[in-house]
Formats: sequence, C-alpha cells, structure tokens
Amino acid sequence: MLKVENIHKAFGNNEILKGVNIEVAQGDVVVILGPSGSGKTTLLRCIEFLEQADRGKIIVGDLQVDVTAAKKKDIHMIRQRVAFVFQNYNLFSNKTVLENITEGLVIGRKMSKSDANELAFAALAKVGLTDKQAAYPSELSGGQQQRVGIARAVALSPDIILFDEPTSALDPELVGEVLSVMKNIAKEGTTMLVVTHEMSFAREVANHIIFMDQGVVVEEGTPDELFVHPKQQRTKQFLQRVLPDDFIFNI
Amino acid sequence: MASTFDVNFLGEAFRVAMLGVPVTLGITLITLLLSVPISFYFATLRLKKIPVVSQVIAVYVSFVRGTPILIQIFIIYNSVPILLKMLFETYQIKFDIYAIHPIWYAFIIFTFSTTALLVEVFRSALSTVDKGQLEAANAVGLTNFQAYRRIIIPQMLGAAMPNMTTNIINLIKATSLGYALSLPEITLNVKVAANAGYNYIEAYVVIFFVYLAICSLVEYALKKYERHLLRFKLV
Repeated sequence: MLKVENIHKAFGNNEILKGVNIEVAQGDVVVILGPSGSGKTTLLRCIEFLEQADRGKIIVGDLQVDVTAAKKKDIHMIRQRVAFVFQNYNLFSNKTVLENITEGLVIGRKMSKSDANELAFAALAKVGLTDKQAAYPSELSGGQQQRVGIARAVALSPDIILFDEPTSALDPELVGEVLSVMKNIAKEGTTMLVVTHEMSFAREVANHIIFMDQGVVVEEGTPDELFVHPKQQRTKQFLQRVLPDDFIFNI
Repeated sequence: MASTFDVNFLGEAFRVAMLGVPVTLGITLITLLLSVPISFYFATLRLKKIPVVSQVIAVYVSFVRGTPILIQIFIIYNSVPILLKMLFETYQIKFDIYAIHPIWYAFIIFTFSTTALLVEVFRSALSTVDKGQLEAANAVGLTNFQAYRRIIIPQMLGAAMPNMTTNIINLIKATSLGYALSLPEITLNVKVAANAGYNYIEAYVVIFFVYLAICSLVEYALKKYERHLLRFKLV
C-alpha cells in the first residue's frame, strides 16, 4: 500500500534522514517511535511532500514517485491518497468546522457542495463533533480541534492517514479523547502511519512498530517483539527511558 | 471685499466641493486597485527574502516614507514629461506630452507612494498567519494560489485592516495635494470659487467638513468590513 524507499533528506549540512525504508500494508496501523531529532516527523513530511526529500521513492498503491523527479501533478496525486494530521491541528481559522472539512473536497477535488457536506457530516459523526459543525476553530478546545483535524483527513477517504504527533500539543486531560477517536478509526480498518510518544497507544492499537534513531530505522516488529524483546541496544535504552517501570510486565 | 464670514458663499462652496468628490474618490479607488495587489506581491517578495529584489523594495519603501508627498508630486509631475518627451523624440513618435490629463499623473504618484506604505502593512500582517495552514491546505489538495486566496489572504486582510484604514484615510486626505496638479478635486474647486470674493475662511471651513464627512464614512465602512473579516475571532 505505502512503500518508502531509500529516502534521504538534509537541511543544509544536517542530514536528517539517511536512507529510510518502510512499508505499510492495507489496514495496518504502524507507529514510529524514536527520540526527538530522529527524523520521524521529517519522514512523514517528506511522504506528504511538505518537504521535498533529496533522494528516494514514494510508492502508494500503483503510484510510484521518484522524489527528485516529482512534478506538481505527482505531488497532487500523492496528496489525494495520503492525508495528514498535524501536531498543531492547522485548522483554517477563517473557516467553520464544516468548511474546514469540505474545503479540500470542494476546492481541491471539485466535488459538489452537497456531496462534500455529506462526507463531512459522516466524518464529523465519527469524531463525535456533529454539534460543532458551525463553530469556528477558535471556539473549540485543543482536543476538539484535533478531532476536526482527523475528520478533515478521514473525509478525504485517503488510502492512508499520516499522524504527526497528534497529541503532543494537547493538555494531558485532552489526550484521551483524541486517542480514542484514533482507536475507533483504526478499528474500522483505516490504514494509519502514526508518529507518537503515546506508548499505550502504540502497544494497544499498532500492529507494527518502527523504531527510528539518527535518521535510520534501527529496528521494527510487532509491539510484542519490540516492547518485550527488543534486540538492538539503542531500542532498549530508548524504551527504558520512555516506558514506566511496570509497563512491560503488565502487558 | 468680504472681511466678515459670508454665509451665502457656503452654499456655493459646498456645491463645487461636491463636484470634486468624484475626482477625489476616483483617484483613491484607482490608487488602491493598483497598489493593493502590487504591494501584496512586494510584501511576499520581502518575506521570501529574495536577494537584491528584497533590498530594492526596502530602499523604495524608505525613500517614499522619508520624503514629503508634495515633493514627490513636484518631482514626478515635472520630470516624467521631460523623460517621455526625450523618449518619444528618440523614437520619433508624434505625441503631445502636454495633452496628458493630470489625473494620470495623480494615479502614478499616489500609487507610487501608497504601494510603499502598504508593503510594510501587508508584510507584518502576512507574518501573523501561521504557515501551518498553508501546509494543511496543500495537504488537502489546494494549490498555493487557492490556499492564498481562500485561507491566507482573508486572514491576512483581517490583521491588516487597522493599518490599511489609516493608510486609506491618509490617501483620501493626500489627494487634496492634487491642486498642485491642477486637478479639479475638492480642495482646488473650492479654492477657485473662493478667489472671486476672497472667501478663503469660508472655503477652508467647507473643505474641512467635506473631508471630515468623507473620511468618517469611509472609516465606518472599513470598520464594518474589518469586523466581517475577523468574524471567526469573535467568540
């Protein structure tokens, strides 16, 4: 479904991604873990072409794009299939909740307004915010804004949704509502690639974990393999730092 | 002749003032239509820090800010015909430079100065809109042009409105300098009418109130527009 081959990305002399390969199958929920600065976010941004990678290939279904030769049309095609949920929500401040969701459908995809509204209402129902459709983002809590961000991605009916630390900007008491929405759409079979620091989400929802450090994939496997029997020293050290002491034994 | 305040002249002064209103508002409107898009484009160039171009714009802005508009009028009004004449003579084009209506010079001069002032207004307003929204718009399939038109510019305009209003009001008042171009705008019309009977005090009082009325109305309308643009912020 999604395949990323040998992605390289440097900002100036600072090499962030040093040849990353990952694969996500249909229906997978893949979580990328790693210390800050390991290149997780940059990887997601390169897939969505919010950053242009220096080298590598991005393959979504039958669509294959060499990043160095990517044209506007290729990028547009990738974005039709790959949706993005941002750390800071990035809702359009001057649009209502409903308009935030329909904007990409009506303007980006030339869908009729009534069709777009129908998709938007279905997406809003999924995130439990039907009653907020006429509100502006400034009237919502952070958790609600992020749920709208998720609805905006879901309504595009993408092949895969990328989540870039979706709960990192939230107050702790608001994290739960966003995670439960993510759990629900995962259960429905949505293919997801998630960068997060929420270990419980990774443990419970993901079926595949990728551990990245210093611009490369260090280790990957099922949550059991990674959390209970990590092979690499770097993975062990990272997990020791981020997991509560009793986490592994409580599984 | 009339050393006392001549109330009868007020009516006549008001009548000729009204004849000048379309000229005043016309210059203002054309100037804004030209300078708003140009200065917005310049502001984006400044923000992208494009070498040379960005510096040239910065110098232009300082130049306009640092010189009185009356002097800009004199320089452009006197030098442009000479330059054009030289140009036409070299290429042997038959064209009477002095037949150009002064209103064209007004468009050029006021666009030249207003553009410079609005560059800075738009530059600061643009930097208030979070770049993440542009990325989000791209991610849902909007082109940069669509994203600017539908997401970025409406928010940018909201942030720019208070300063825009000040500049538009200043522009309306600055058109009174059109008398230096012999333009039949409010100020010149009334002054000419005052010449006959030396009714200058009456004339200035009328001019004063006509500008006050126009500027108040414009300010009120722009305030309403600002509130409309920023409706998403009024929780």
